[in-house]
Amino acid sequence: MSFAWTSKLALAAGLAILPATAWAQSVNISYLTHWSPETVALLEAAAKDYAKTNPDVSVTVRAVPFGDLLTTLRSQGGGSDGPTIGGIYDLWLPELARDKLVAPAPDAVASEVKASWPAGITSAASVGGTLYGIPNEIDVYALNYNKALFKQAGIAAPPKTWDEFKDAAKKLTNKEAGQQGFGMINSWAAGVVHPFASLLVSNGGELVKDGKPALDSPQATQTFQLYEDLIKSGASVPAMATADANTTGPFLDNFVSGKTGMIIMANWWESALKTGMGSKFADIATAPIPVGPSGDKPHSISYSWMTVVNANAGAAEQKAAWDFLAWLNNPKSGKNGASAMSDILMSMGILPSRLSDIDAHKDKLGSEFLSGYVSVLTDAKPFPVVPGGQEFSESLQQTIEALQYGQVSAKDAQATAQADATAILERAAK
Amino acid sequence: MIQRYRASAGIMLAPAVTLIGIFILLPMLLTVWLSFQDWSTQTPFSSASFIGLDNCREIFGASSVGRDFKVALINTAIYTALSVILILPLSVAFGLMVYQHDVAGGTALRTVLFSTYMVPMIAVALVWSKLYSPSEGPLNQMLGLIGIGPQPFLSSPRSALISIVFLNVWQQVGYFTVLAIAGLTQIPGSLYEAAKLDGANRFEQFRFITLPLMRRTLLFSAVIAIINAVQVFEPVALITQGGPVGSTNVLTYHIRRVGIERAQGGLGSAMAVMLMLSLIVVVCALFALANRKDRE
Repeated sequence: MSFAWTSKLALAAGLAILPATAWAQSVNISYLTHWSPETVALLEAAAKDYAKTNPDVSVTVRAVPFGDLLTTLRSQGGGSDGPTIGGIYDLWLPELARDKLVAPAPDAVASEVKASWPAGITSAASVGGTLYGIPNEIDVYALNYNKALFKQAGIAAPPKTWDEFKDAAKKLTNKEAGQQGFGMINSWAAGVVHPFASLLVSNGGELVKDGKPALDSPQATQTFQLYEDLIKSGASVPAMATADANTTGPFLDNFVSGKTGMIIMANWWESALKTGMGSKFADIATAPIPVGPSGDKPHSISYSWMTVVNANAGAAEQKAAWDFLAWLNNPKSGKNGASAMSDILMSMGILPSRLSDIDAHKDKLGSEFLSGYVSVLTDAKPFPVVPGGQEFSESLQQTIEALQYGQVSAKDAQATAQADATAILERAAK
Repeated sequence: MIQRYRASAGIMLAPAVTLIGIFILLPMLLTVWLSFQDWSTQTPFSSASFIGLDNCREIFGASSVGRDFKVALINTAIYTALSVILILPLSVAFGLMVYQHDVAGGTALRTVLFSTYMVPMIAVALVWSKLYSPSEGPLNQMLGLIGIGPQPFLSSPRSALISIVFLNVWQQVGYFTVLAIAGLTQIPGSLYEAAKLDGANRFEQFRFITLPLMRRTLLFSAVIAIINAVQVFEPVALITQGGPVGSTNVLTYHIRRVGIERAQGGLGSAMAVMLMLSLIVVVCALFALANRKDRE
């Protein structure tokens, strides 16, 4: 064999062997989220920490607007090249599990979750008794009000009942100044349905009972009527409350600029409010949802988020993804006994759901803004997680918005909402 | 001889016809086939089950699925009609202005007009959503200067769709102006000189020379404007999410929600087929109208 041929063969063998050893060990996984760039940077920093002890695993973070998250998961999750990890809303889980887009958690992960999270949160991350995701956050709704506007209107304390709520909304309304008493959000399904559902459960009602819609109850009648009363009295102006794809828009603008007296919103808005209000954030306080005439005490709606793993990803990627998630949610990955995930969540004002994380963040959870949310958590009712839940939410959103804009009466809205919900849930259950 | 000619023509056409068949006809036929099936987009085609016209009945029925589809169809029709009605006359008007060689700054105006078409929709959507902002938007501030109260623009079901139409017209009119200029260059100058000698004024020249001789250009512009308008998606997805009260929920956005977000592939395909049929009917009607005018 000539020298030239020997050299070529040696070079080819070298090229083939050297990278192959590296490729055999490295695993690339991607994490899809809807978080803001600042929060994505925190997740990337956590991934770098993880890489120190796991140099063979590379984690890439991708972010899309909330409005595109489910579509991205559905359109890309069907293949092995789709995101390996996805942060999802619990309402989406039953259908993603049915369509085999998410992988069941390995036994070790499932045992850890069952031992370290509250049972209700674990069940929201499960379908048919199988755990599919590691829960991370819990969100709950409460009344946010502007103390400065309350003082100007001569209102001493946040409303405890619907009568006080309507009275406060009326006093806070100043048409000449372009100020509304209560902000009733539109153009965002969860943003519309969750406050409505919070008022409904605080009036003793339910959205879904035993898997069937319960929007024909007397409690629901009163809740639809409350919305109509607020709109007709001018205390709530729908045109001041639209949201955009990033769940911001005029609804947020009007509250942070002191043009809206009260809203019903979840705790995760803390970071958006702080950014929008600066030092005036101190004017914002939290109170339980006012109790309706048929209610016994304040209740609100809660929902959870979790991280799931793409069932179509390769075996090595799935294994690496579960290992990364187990580390991310482990009390040793963050500061002072908290998980790295909970540190990221708390930067946005989001309540972590792991029991040890709640303990580790006790001080911050006691802040004036967040303590109001923590206090209502015990009596919060989970948003019903049922097949067809997303379509049900979007349909109810349309009906509530039609009521907000005066296109239908409270009575017609209730009848339409119940009929649509019945058809949607029946079809989804088949 | 003819046979050999046919064979060579067939061989030469085969690559293009094959590509068109695979990438255009096959997906279209597949969509039509899926519109008769009960199928989840997350499952293989083999799992689809034939349900006849049930999807069609559903999307035209009284349930929320039917209501939402009909609203989206009407919204798309209004959006398309308003876009075409505004874009075509404006493009001709701007084309006439820019085409006048003796007008100072004509080239600059042509550049400015076309530049809006080159701006990515994401940037347009971001800027226009702020322009339309009810509280801090410059448009409302300008209206305030002349004593007009704040307008809700995107926040009202009455004005949201029209606001999106204006955004579309602003972005597209430059492109159609270029088409109009191309049409104007095809009209011989001698016709205008003859008309002037016959005593025709500027309006008469426009009415009896420019407009009739631009008919083909305008027909092409109308077809392209209709197709572009029917395909509207980005401003809705980026700014309004179809709201408020579904007032900006156009068909492409709705099909994406049903077919992808809810994974109801059969229903989504039935909606897509209806959209395609509507488009075919409108474009054919437009060509038939133009042909009748030509015969007259």
